[in-house]
Amino acid sequence: MARMKFLCDADRCIECQACVTACKNEHEVPWGINRRRVVTINDGLPGERSVSMACMHCTDAPCAAVCPVACFYTTDDGVVLHNKDTCIGCGYCSYACPFGAPQYPQTANFGTRGKMDKCTYCSGGPEPDMSQAEYVKYGANRLAEGKLPLCAEMCSTKALLAGDGDIIADIYRERVVTRGYGSGAWGWRTAYGDTVTV
Amino acid sequence: MTYLSRLFVALSVVLAFGLSAPQVQAQVNPTQSSVNEDAMFQALGGDSAVVSGRVTIPDRGAGTLISPDNKSWAALQGRTLHTLSIWAVIGMIAILTLFYLIRGKIRIDSGMSGRTILRFNWVERFAHWTLASTFIILALTGLNLIIGKSVILPIFGEAAFGTLSAYGKIAHNYLAWPFMASLVMILLLWIVHNIPEKLDLDWIKQAGGLLKKGVHPPARKFNAGQKLIFWAVVIGGAGLSYTGIMMLFPAEAGTQADWQFYQVVHALIAAALSAIVIAHIYIGSVGMEGAFDAMGSGEVDENWAKEHHSLWVEEVKATQKRNTTQVTTPAE
Amino acid sequence: MLVKRRTREAASTGRLSQMASGMAAKPLDRRSFLRASGLTVGGLAALTTVGAGMTRRVEAAGFTDMSQPIEVKKNMCTHCSVGCSVIAEVQNGVWVGQEPAYGSPINRGTHCAKGASVRELVHGDRRIKYPMKKVGGEWQRISWDQALDEIAEKMGEIRANSGADSVYLLGSAKFSNEGAYLFRKFAAFWGTNNVDHQARICHSTTVAGVANTWGYGAQTNSYNDIRNAKTVIFMGSNAAEAHPVSLQHILEGKETQRANVIVLDPRFTRTAAHATEYVRFRPGTDIAVINGMLYHIFENGWEDTEYIAQRVYGMDQVREVVKDYTPDVVEDITGVDGETLKRVAEQFAKERPSTFIWCMGGTQHTVGTANVRAYNILLLATGNVGGEGNGANIFRGHCNVQGATDFGLDVGNLPCYYGLGAGAWRHWSRVWDVPYEYFVSRFDAVPAKGGRDARTPEQNMEIPGITSTRWFDAVTIDADEIDQQDNIKAMIVFGHGGNTVPRMQDAQRGMNALDLLVVADPHPTTFAALHSRTDNTYLLPICTQFECSGSRTASNRSIQWGEKIVDPIFESDNDYAVIHALSERLGFADEMFKNYEMVQGKFGMEPTPESILREINRGGWSTGYTGQSPERLKAHMANQEHFDLVTLRAKPDAPAEVQGDYYGLPWPCWGTPELRHPGTHILYNTNLHPMEGGGAFRPRFGLERDGETLLAEGSWPQGSEIQDGYPEFTYALLEELGWDGDLTEQERSVIEAIGGDNMGGVSWSIDLSGGIQRVALEHGCVPFGNGKARAIAWNLPDPIPVHREPIYSSRPDLVAAYPTNEDRRQQRMPNIGKSVQQDVVERNVASDFPIILTSGRLVEYEGGGEETRSNPWLAELKQDMFVEINPEDARARGIVDGGWVWVTGPEGGSRARVKALVTERVNRGLAFMPFHFAGWFQGEDQRGNYPAGTDPIVLGESVNVITTYGYDPVTGMHEGKVTLCQIAAA
Repeated sequence: MARMKFLCDADRCIECQACVTACKNEHEVPWGINRRRVVTINDGLPGERSVSMACMHCTDAPCAAVCPVACFYTTDDGVVLHNKDTCIGCGYCSYACPFGAPQYPQTANFGTRGKMDKCTYCSGGPEPDMSQAEYVKYGANRLAEGKLPLCAEMCSTKALLAGDGDIIADIYRERVVTRGYGSGAWGWRTAYGDTVTV
Repeated sequence: MTYLSRLFVALSVVLAFGLSAPQVQAQVNPTQSSVNEDAMFQALGGDSAVVSGRVTIPDRGAGTLISPDNKSWAALQGRTLHTLSIWAVIGMIAILTLFYLIRGKIRIDSGMSGRTILRFNWVERFAHWTLASTFIILALTGLNLIIGKSVILPIFGEAAFGTLSAYGKIAHNYLAWPFMASLVMILLLWIVHNIPEKLDLDWIKQAGGLLKKGVHPPARKFNAGQKLIFWAVVIGGAGLSYTGIMMLFPAEAGTQADWQFYQVVHALIAAALSAIVIAHIYIGSVGMEGAFDAMGSGEVDENWAKEHHSLWVEEVKATQKRNTTQVTTPAE
Repeated sequence: MLVKRRTREAASTGRLSQMASGMAAKPLDRRSFLRASGLTVGGLAALTTVGAGMTRRVEAAGFTDMSQPIEVKKNMCTHCSVGCSVIAEVQNGVWVGQEPAYGSPINRGTHCAKGASVRELVHGDRRIKYPMKKVGGEWQRISWDQALDEIAEKMGEIRANSGADSVYLLGSAKFSNEGAYLFRKFAAFWGTNNVDHQARICHSTTVAGVANTWGYGAQTNSYNDIRNAKTVIFMGSNAAEAHPVSLQHILEGKETQRANVIVLDPRFTRTAAHATEYVRFRPGTDIAVINGMLYHIFENGWEDTEYIAQRVYGMDQVREVVKDYTPDVVEDITGVDGETLKRVAEQFAKERPSTFIWCMGGTQHTVGTANVRAYNILLLATGNVGGEGNGANIFRGHCNVQGATDFGLDVGNLPCYYGLGAGAWRHWSRVWDVPYEYFVSRFDAVPAKGGRDARTPEQNMEIPGITSTRWFDAVTIDADEIDQQDNIKAMIVFGHGGNTVPRMQDAQRGMNALDLLVVADPHPTTFAALHSRTDNTYLLPICTQFECSGSRTASNRSIQWGEKIVDPIFESDNDYAVIHALSERLGFADEMFKNYEMVQGKFGMEPTPESILREINRGGWSTGYTGQSPERLKAHMANQEHFDLVTLRAKPDAPAEVQGDYYGLPWPCWGTPELRHPGTHILYNTNLHPMEGGGAFRPRFGLERDGETLLAEGSWPQGSEIQDGYPEFTYALLEELGWDGDLTEQERSVIEAIGGDNMGGVSWSIDLSGGIQRVALEHGCVPFGNGKARAIAWNLPDPIPVHREPIYSSRPDLVAAYPTNEDRRQQRMPNIGKSVQQDVVERNVASDFPIILTSGRLVEYEGGGEETRSNPWLAELKQDMFVEINPEDARARGIVDGGWVWVTGPEGGSRARVKALVTERVNRGLAFMPFHFAGWFQGEDQRGNYPAGTDPIVLGESVNVITTYGYDPVTGMHEGKVTLCQIAAA
């Protein structure tokens, strides 16, 4: 089985936010929930780079470690998913996540956050694949259709790569060799313990 | 991080990595001076650094791109605290069991006198029991959040555990308020009885007589052991309250790291206090004959009182005498 | 196309999947999911007020039921001009999914934020749902019939009292080609040249500058072709935000070619972040920068002498002019040091092919046309036009601004740049099969006034109309000052925002003073909300291009056919139907629509876009809009994957129907569709045979000037039988060359019928048979001739561009040496720029308003922004109007990032309350504001002015409240990029 990962090539990312709206579009994600976002580092300075970030689907996911109700599970594709039926909206995962992935429908006071929502790598949740129940809770299940996450598929400059970790790392490596520069596979060391070396 | 400090960091990164090669012209080459993840982390201080930037959505927290330190908290919360909490509870129960097996139930040496005196009035008992009941639920629901998945989930299964935890979370968040109110009550009611004094040192030296039959160091209304519990509950409770409120209102807590700190403190206090309270429950119930009545009916047997709170009994008697001489005794 | 999604064996989701059915906790249902947003629910509530049958279930509209068949439709994104294909999955008439269009060589599956969210446009929570009018200040729902009847009646009254020219027809770059053409034709039948669209405020100066240099006002190459470039200059273009998908080609090109990417911009943009060199300069000093570069080029002999000798007229005079632009002078004007410019100039001249990209940063100036000319001269001097990887890559703004420009939504043109001369009118009269005299009868006679002569209708129809930048002045100005019968009394606005030109205080006064205001648009736009009108104001719900079919021309001139995805939602209807319905009521529908195939539409008869395109094919000879039949365009869309990514040419294994074609048959696509011309990927490319897309510069300014030839010398397209320059082809030239015998009998008879007594005078551009073009091409010749590009454009105010200070200059000390152009009359209106500039200097405005204000685009929004600000997926990303301000300027003013500020402008006490974005993107003394916002006006929230449920989610101050006077002397383009302001914490 493939080990699915995301890799944002910051030397390609132009903060166009296509990944963000593609995600909203594909899953009808409501206002206020940002499964994916683009962060610009060194904004306005010559070293500026933008990075698109969502759940990185970590190895040994820290969210799963802290979840009091063990609602997280990792699929055979290496995708970290969660069960909204079990989720109690405690918010612990949002503090465990190094990437700010977990989102909540409500403001957090009194612990009334509602069920956690996050990037599913376009692969739904525990409900039957591609069922309406799954769509309503988690959004579309593209992986089950043999497709990849729409954010990466629609990325304007093909900065955001999704797919088997080894393959996208190879693509990235090749780009760095071709162009002679690379600002790194942002988040990989944190998420997977190892970055892409060229 | 404020904008300025971020700017400073950014500038230093640019300076460090963009201009490291001497350049003749003031040429601006954004490609060459692009930030690099590894370099940036190093410049910001290694793995505990937080990489953040600008986002356009109002959620300011979203500007944090990577904070690897969250994983440390996750490990602390998911493993260390998990283990610690289990051991605190199991450890205390084990000690008490051992104590019970060795010492057995502490009896009233002189037997029941049949005469009782009022130890706690209904206000005190109400405060105590509110505190006690909310604490127990809070402790159980809190513990559930940490160790439930390894203790309860395997027994009850996912569905029941999920429901239980969801209600548990609600209970925990809302019962915290009566807990805090009763904590204030006991503080006001009992603080005068709990001011430490020299007497307490003797009591502690003799271990309160708990270990040896027939030894009864003098004590006022609260002996040193009870004072310890009182202060443990008051201080621990206050700590739990403060950290709990911070956790309930994350915006007030400050940064994610601050919240994580409160959570760890909360869990540590909770584990410690749970252990202490288990001991307290033990001694107030099966551990000691006659002790439960103090919070049950409020009336304790005079002999029990004499053995454990000799000075207090004297004070009570003295007061009663004064009262009977000065005030007309009502007809019985 | 009906397909079923491929389904895989349900992925094992571990232990939980078995337990899923027994979950006890209440699942999060869709409604509570929606409720959390607050906004979506409002939208749903609004929907329920619409009549039954018109509503559509929006809830969970994105769910695709795998057991049901899915219809796949292909259309193009309706935002910018890149032309990204959109693949829609439709189920039961609902657009349920958007998939990447990997086949398209333009976007290869990708989108930007806007393109990736277009599906929401047909959720349309905030769309106009039915026709409305204002009665006593309140919006009322009315029927289409009532709306159109009343509008037609009022138009008739205005025509009777004030003349046809008093009705202003403001069209749209969002029309399809067929819609744009129809709207221009509508203006001709109504009898006015007061017809314009967004190109006025976007690239009108480009079109004027470029067409005056080498023939056609369009991007010479394509986004894809930039992959071949070794050096790329962006000047006044922030493509990363305005044309994000183009960066796919540019960044890949940059990587594989290790190309230089040089960004010259006052602001460190997201594009600049990916440059290999970023050069900051003072806004409005482009010409000094370019002339400074040319100084180094000529000084060091880096120019392409052979190219200049063969293909350029007048470069020697340029050489003389730029001698004045020494490094010191240029640094003083622009702030850029000589060494930097030298380095940039050297790379551009030597590391070829080099391409020059510009956008609104170059065009929206009082010197817009001159800026464009300067860029062109730089390209010509370095031999960088007419080949792979070079060229003037003009990134146009809206999805069909190129097509709408091509089809004459322009005060000075009939479709396809024929101009307004009698020959042009007669040409289109023939195409439309309507007597020339009919049009004469429709135009006003203009009385003598203001010291100007009277005009007959026949003369009036040849006089360019009023530009869209000045419409409000034309409403309120003294009647003597306006060079037509009467002031503007009615605005008929199809798909055009009201907040995209400066001086919104004056625009508001203009709106208030109109007798009739009609807004035909999917969204109400600022035209519906800015004013305090109480009556005679109509809103017509027009559907988007996703709800009708038609072709649109991308920036690179590729024409793509968009297929209707769903029926028009609510009571909205398409442009074709509405223009037809209005024409019917105005009494000229029968004449105007007689060539079209009419079909039953939603509310009445409407023409098919295919039949309109066929008419365009019959008349668009001058621009090569004749080969792109609907069948060919549809075949291209169906076979997208067969086109090469870099050359855009269909590969040898492509199906016969597209083999050898360039993608989208980029114009000029000469001759009839049967000729199978492949289209022209790169304009003026002499390395190819004209039948393979080759060409040359177009000689359209005579054959010689001051004794020097204007025809090419020693340069010709491959395969040319005339191995030198030559003029445009006419029947007479064919005779002279002895090629007239190649014409078929039928072709000859058509030419004869057109020419009458003067058969020799029939040219390639009015020969309706296409014979002249065919014969010229067969002999390897370009129908329009083989001429030289002009380094000197003697017909422009500045034949060779020279620096001129902006009207609101931050350097009043330079105004005396570099004043703006003299006051003049243009497009029926006075332009008093010089007087204003002098007043500004005398009043020392720069000391009270010490910050330069510039404006530009955001990636999330487009144009006036009503459509995009109504889309929650986009609106969430930019919730507040803001001003970018440098940290030092902010600190000096006590302004914090995210805090509220007042931006004040130097005209009319204008002010805007916006949020501060403190950033190094702008340097000290410069502020930037995006132009997509409206709905707040000088601190006042105007949300209540929108009809209920149509107010965009995000409102904000418009930058054009602050921007000021200033118009390009050639095209009337506004000054949108340089003014002065002051900023204070609010």
